Amino acid sequence: MTKRSAILAALAFLMPALVSVFLLRLWPAAVAVNTSLIPPGSDTYGLDNFRYIFTDPVFLNSLKVTLVFLVIVNPLQIAISLALALLMNTAVPLIGFWRTVILLPVAIPQSVSAVVWGVALRPDGLVNAVLVALGMEPQRFLTSPDQALASIILIVSWIGVGYWMTFILAGLQDIPKSLYEAVTIDGANPWQRFRFVTLPQLRRPLTFVLVANTVANFLIFAPIQILTAGGPEGSTDLIMNTVYTQAFIISDPESAAASTVVLVAVVLLIVILQFRMMRTEDGHD
Amino acid sequence: MTEHSRLRWLRLAVIVMIAALFFLPLWWMAVSAMRPGDAIFRYLSPLSPWSFLPREWTAEHMLGIWQGSFGRAIFNSIFVTLVTVIGGLAVCSTAAFALAVIDFPFRKSVFFVMVISFLIPFDAIAVPLYGIMRLLDLQNTYTGLILPGIGNGLAVFLLRQFFIGIPKDLREAAFVDGMGWFGIFWRIYLPLSGPAMLSAALILFVFQWQAYLWPLLIAPSPEYKVAAVAIAQFSNEYQANFGLIFAASLVISIIPMVVLTILQRYYSTSVASTGGKE
Repeated sequence: MTKRSAILAALAFLMPALVSVFLLRLWPAAVAVNTSLIPPGSDTYGLDNFRYIFTDPVFLNSLKVTLVFLVIVNPLQIAISLALALLMNTAVPLIGFWRTVILLPVAIPQSVSAVVWGVALRPDGLVNAVLVALGMEPQRFLTSPDQALASIILIVSWIGVGYWMTFILAGLQDIPKSLYEAVTIDGANPWQRFRFVTLPQLRRPLTFVLVANTVANFLIFAPIQILTAGGPEGSTDLIMNTVYTQAFIISDPESAAASTVVLVAVVLLIVILQFRMMRTEDGHD
Repeated sequence: MTEHSRLRWLRLAVIVMIAALFFLPLWWMAVSAMRPGDAIFRYLSPLSPWSFLPREWTAEHMLGIWQGSFGRAIFNSIFVTLVTVIGGLAVCSTAAFALAVIDFPFRKSVFFVMVISFLIPFDAIAVPLYGIMRLLDLQNTYTGLILPGIGNGLAVFLLRQFFIGIPKDLREAAFVDGMGWFGIFWRIYLPLSGPAMLSAALILFVFQWQAYLWPLLIAPSPEYKVAAVAIAQFSNEYQANFGLIFAASLVISIIPMVVLTILQRYYSTSVASTGGKE
């Protein structure tokens, strides 16, 4: 096997994937950058589109809402998935089945989950029925500016935590038993075992989940478009919904392109920042 | 009972309760699909066992959904997903093979680009991609629906990991026997990779069955509409007929639920081996 034949073979094997990377990622990214730099009605490059979106109250609001959403939803989902993984990391009867049940929502289209939860969260729906049965007041949920975002968080967490749990569970199962035996001999209590063995050993899967989860939540779209259209009063106007609205509802391709560029740049930044974070923690451990 | 086994039973009880809580919305959906329309909300106040167990059954909604365009949408979803899985396996496994097995310059960089393409979800780029697909005249076509699903970074990653684990001796022996790269891929690597291919197939399946934003943009005509998009519009059209909405939701959900329940092991390991392990 000569070097040249290896290169040719690699090229042949990679060709379909390279074409799709070019067609589906690089080309559209280049188009977005190009469109974003040409102000409407102009044929010279400039930053007007970015100046415009960063003074547009709708866009600024959606940045704020997205940030608030991420700051709440990420720690919440990671904490719940970690708790679920710890709970499910055991050999009780039918454990595989119970895990699958919690994983099921992720396989269902988000649009279906949104529709079903939309009915469940109606004033006369399932969730209020449960609240009333527990002696609490019925709530407005998706129609209240104060509760709509929390309702969206409930829905996307129901969808996602089983998926994230799967990563953490795999990490838990990789921890050598001998580590626990060693600290138990040293007299460690369950909290100390968790703090000094489990948590450091889970660093890799937890970091992965943090990154992947942030990116997934950043781009939540179906529940917003179907349930609230960004409302009430812009309280659930996540960035993907704003980009969609700019592009297809108010037909402003320049703003949509500028927003897309910002969106992709932020996603890239999150990914890089979080990998950095993981490295510095590395030093402490 | 020893304290240890009592704790174990307590833990099982908590697990079952949590699983039941997660399943409750799905169960409610299924029950509501099969009870008369006026019974869906009637049995909710006050909450009682009858909220979750139908007193009267009806097949009215489960049969009713097939009268409109919903059957077509389900067919589209199944067809598009099947082709995506087959095409995706072909594209991703060949790429993964080159990245794992063949030694060529810039291999790391090429792999890096693919990993980044996996980290940046496809939806982020959907709006400009829509412009390109319109340029290529792929609106309202199966090709337009399928294309974005076949290059899946996760599947490439997973298959590459698996291929790396296959001993080098096997392909070196094959070279000595005069086998070419394609022969090695087709006759040695693929037959050894059943479970990994199944895992990759599941990733592709779940991705495409779920897809919402892209099909909404590229295939709005009734002829090419997929189920995930149809259900959202269904719920506007049939505002008052919750029975039909739940029945359609049930049909769309039951397919991935059954697949996942049967193949859970492959899905979980595939998911887990793409993050957290090296």
